[in-house]
Amino acid sequence: MSARQMKLGLFLWATGHHIAAWRHPDAHVKAGIDIDHYVQLVRTAEAAKFDMVFCEDAAGLREADVNIASQTSRSIGFEPISLLSALAAQTERIGLVSTASTSYNEPYGLARMFASLDNLSGGRAGWNLVTSASPIEAANFGATGLRPHADRYARAREFATVITGLWNRRAAGHDGESFSVRDPLDIPPSPQGAPVMVQAGASDDGKDLAARTADVVFSAAQTFEEAKAFYDDLKGRLAAYGRQPDDVKIMPGVAPIVAATKAEAQAKYDALQELIPDDVGVALLSSYLSISDLGRYPIDGPLPELPESEGMRSRQALVIEQARRDGLSIRELARYFAGARGHWRIVGTAGEIADELQARFEGGAADGFNVMPSWFPGELDAFATLVVPELQRRGLFRKDYEGRTLREHLGLKRPV
Amino acid sequence: MHLAVSLNIAVATGQTGLTFAEIAGFVRKIEAAGVDMVIISDSWPSGEPSTSPFEATTLIAALATVTENIGLVASASTLAHQPYNLARRFASLDIISHGRVGWNATLRQNPLEAANFSRPAGIPNNDFRRRAEEFIGIVQGLWGGWDADALLFDQAGGRFHDPRKMHFLDHKGEFFSVRGPLNIARSPQDTPLLAMSGLARTDLDFAASVADVIAIEEPPSEGARATCDDLKKRALAAGRTLDALKVLTTVFAPDLTAARLEVWLGAESSDGLIFALPADRSAIDGFTDRILPELRRRDRARPAHGATLRSRLALGAGGAK
Repeated sequence: MSARQMKLGLFLWATGHHIAAWRHPDAHVKAGIDIDHYVQLVRTAEAAKFDMVFCEDAAGLREADVNIASQTSRSIGFEPISLLSALAAQTERIGLVSTASTSYNEPYGLARMFASLDNLSGGRAGWNLVTSASPIEAANFGATGLRPHADRYARAREFATVITGLWNRRAAGHDGESFSVRDPLDIPPSPQGAPVMVQAGASDDGKDLAARTADVVFSAAQTFEEAKAFYDDLKGRLAAYGRQPDDVKIMPGVAPIVAATKAEAQAKYDALQELIPDDVGVALLSSYLSISDLGRYPIDGPLPELPESEGMRSRQALVIEQARRDGLSIRELARYFAGARGHWRIVGTAGEIADELQARFEGGAADGFNVMPSWFPGELDAFATLVVPELQRRGLFRKDYEGRTLREHLGLKRPV
Repeated sequence: MHLAVSLNIAVATGQTGLTFAEIAGFVRKIEAAGVDMVIISDSWPSGEPSTSPFEATTLIAALATVTENIGLVASASTLAHQPYNLARRFASLDIISHGRVGWNATLRQNPLEAANFSRPAGIPNNDFRRRAEEFIGIVQGLWGGWDADALLFDQAGGRFHDPRKMHFLDHKGEFFSVRGPLNIARSPQDTPLLAMSGLARTDLDFAASVADVIAIEEPPSEGARATCDDLKKRALAAGRTLDALKVLTTVFAPDLTAARLEVWLGAESSDGLIFALPADRSAIDGFTDRILPELRRRDRARPAHGATLRSRLALGAGGAK
């Protein structure tokens, strides 16, 4: 067994990560209103010894166009803090990580929520900090326009300072630019001391904030070179904040499609791609590129020149680079992108997928992976029964939990 | 007569070791005894710090998975949350619990809160109340954003929902502007229950026009009956039907003697009782093993029926107008 083992997260998303997952004949189409579906998924992940499950979140609809929205399953689902609190009572070991926005919460309130989830789960909670770029969300919180990127990050930095101060019982009393807090937190710490801090922002501001405060970083990288560059960049920023490279675990997203043969896996992928309506694919791509009118360009033509937006800068760069590199039309890029939303897609056998994961893990481009099954429960079951045993056989992944808390699973220090 | 238990987990007799398993045990015992709902608070109204390891909304999410039919009502403050987030939390809880959840909104300001929620100068009580009223209206509006038949699940046709049955709120008010809709499906019980407490005289018209349950903090008596009748009149004046509002009186279990119980029941002052209990074993046992049998002997507490909290409380569909 190798000394270092990879970390695995299960990225939950109602019917699955593929935009057309809900149309798959074996998908659970009512996933967004069925708590038992989630209990089953998380128990599968726990039986496979995943480090954690992760819920992404947005406080609003995903699509500006109501007709596009109605052709996806993404307009309804559970609110993740309540969902994970329910799952805490139905699981024993697996970590439970939820997204929450620094723009639409107060640190004292969010500190209470996550401290409570951490206690309910016996020290298995984590918080994924997001700053919320979507104007759809902003309209639910009295904001008329998005704050500039730098302002959102200034607020997020202050938020992170205050919330970790509350969790770690540092001297109370904060009076800052965005927040003021008088008292210490009124909820005692869990067995892991404080919830695990997670981040996914890949812009310069995002990477600096992650280097300063995150325990885990989720990222998106198509190629080994992109993954390696991000990994080295982020780890290189840690020293400036007095941190060691191992203090932060970098876990890129991966969207595997696995089957007994490569041809079978490819056929599964092709069948899913066929279920994407063109207007939905283009709308999803538009939304990630933070432009509203991609639909007016010829669908079989190339991506137009795009201005830099105030939204998700890093994701935008990734998508544009992909299109230029592969000479993709808007339709091709939209379909490709819709499948994994810019994350790394691997289609193959368990051995082929394990080879790819191993290469990035041992090549210094990842500490683990955030697994994004295309549809639930089928592709999770396939990963858990085919890929996980192969990783275990190679000594790359645990056969049983060594600890009780999420910090212990991840090999993280207790906060001071 | 409806029965509720109010469990303040902040008041756990000073001990810090209260576990989820213990609380789950208490709530299951209360459920087995046929109580309609448990109301969970995680703070002292006086503002003294809590010692509870749990916050109320996250706690009821976990409790929903280990109970079958008892209603689960969590207190949550209008200062500590944004209306969109709070509406979402309870909408989600209601789906997790299959329609057994309610929000206890208090119009009494916790004196600790403003200073910890970036309002060091505090918030005047009048503003707090106007803001709370606007907040509650937004939350109820958001809960109605999806029609009951909005979800189509049409896999072959590629139509997940009917966009005409999803409604924007487009609220613009004195304190908030909220576009909506929620990204949560409609509640299995139409909307989560709205319970209100901590009312001043000036709140009564508002509360009677929106609440499903109002808790009044006086023991059952002639005075309580007058308050209850007054609230029902106000509800009728607001265009609601009599089955849309239940008024419950709060009693403190340690005060209870058989003679006093007789007086309370004789007063017939309200639609039911809320027993305020500390979260400890002897108080729960005393309630389920001593007080409830007394009530049943008087045939005052027949176990309720119904899958959702609204149906247990025999609330008319939708409750608030």
